[in-house]
Amino acid sequence: MLSVAGVIVVNNYQCFVRLNKPSMISTAVEHFKTTRGKTVTREEILSKKPLHVLEKIRENLERLNEKMEVMIELQRHGHADVQPLSDAPLDVMTLLSMPDHLRKTAMTICRCGRATAEEVAEQTSRARAVESAYLNQLVIMGYLKKERKGRKAYFYADRESQR
Amino acid sequence: MSKIVAVHSYKGGTGKTLLSVNLAATFAKQGKKVCLFDLDFRAPSLFAILKVDNAEFWLNDYLNGNCDISKVLIDLSSRIPGNGKFFAGLANPSTEAIREMSAKDRKWEMRALGRLLSLRNSLLNDMEFDYLVFDTSPGLQYSSINAIVAADFVVVATTGDRSDVDGTRRMLRELYNLFEKKTGLVMNKVLDPTSKGKLAEMDARVKNVYQVPMLGLVPCFCEILRAEGNLIFVQDKPNHPFTKILDEMARKIDANAVN
Repeated sequence: MLSVAGVIVVNNYQCFVRLNKPSMISTAVEHFKTTRGKTVTREEILSKKPLHVLEKIRENLERLNEKMEVMIELQRHGHADVQPLSDAPLDVMTLLSMPDHLRKTAMTICRCGRATAEEVAEQTSRARAVESAYLNQLVIMGYLKKERKGRKAYFYADRESQR
Repeated sequence: MSKIVAVHSYKGGTGKTLLSVNLAATFAKQGKKVCLFDLDFRAPSLFAILKVDNAEFWLNDYLNGNCDISKVLIDLSSRIPGNGKFFAGLANPSTEAIREMSAKDRKWEMRALGRLLSLRNSLLNDMEFDYLVFDTSPGLQYSSINAIVAADFVVVATTGDRSDVDGTRRMLRELYNLFEKKTGLVMNKVLDPTSKGKLAEMDARVKNVYQVPMLGLVPCFCEILRAEGNLIFVQDKPNHPFTKILDEMARKIDANAVN
């Protein structure tokens, strides 16, 4: 019988995972589809790549977590002030008109150019999860762009493409 | 430590350019490597004060993305006594350039902010400048707010004029505070500063009305008016009281002693 075990760390919570029945693996796999529509297949798990699979599960949990943070943030501040836009310029007048909590995050990105939620949190002395929510909110509003590199998500103001 | 200093005011005619030029020259006189930028694109004046008429590239070209910042810098170190370095980046004074800069849209302003922010890397880190001084346009305009956002410290020039007092107070509350900027106030053109109780009155006003630290108090000097913008005081009149006031301001900024 195949047995897959490992520790997944998501948002500072450690989860010990043991999947020792093919049926359990199938169930777990069904729940962790990537945003690109790729599915971790049963064959992948059975072809002796347990660590790789755990890594994928972790990545997907992180993405899920980010989405939940955005949803929580949207609920907290209401939908009214979040108008999805595409390529809205992050100029100084926009910064001035932003709510204080978002301005702080946006200003940090302006200064750093490109940063992860963790790097922004270091500058603002707020929690990483809070910054992650604010950054994703700024992405939804069209002021920032988000790019994934491996397991890290980088946020930046795309100044040069806005011509 | 404050490395990028923006000199700003609510109204025009408060002495921003005079303060910017002399503050930058004071830093240079103290042996620092400093660059003074003219960010008043609607009414450029540094080219006239510094008597430069042969600039190949202007600050406008850098902000438009047409050249590197090193092309804009003009070395004026020979004009300052001592071993310091004094550079300037000037705004294009031609009517066509002023018109063009007045018609820029929000996306351009956003890119301009990015280019001003990147001066920290290119000039402070790579070219090892000690200080950048931004002379800005008055009030709430894109170019001046961009300069404030890019700066570490804002020198706010103000006078006793009632409209200036009210506007400055609002700007402190609704602009610098929102951007979490460190500020120091310079009371300029003060009449009878040595008269009884005047200093205490000014100090109390700054504390109560503006609620920011006082960086300096500049009396109304007739010599400044007579010079008609032809003098860099810290260079031409080293023993003038204005020079001493600027020395003290530079010392406070350099020592990060504005509380």
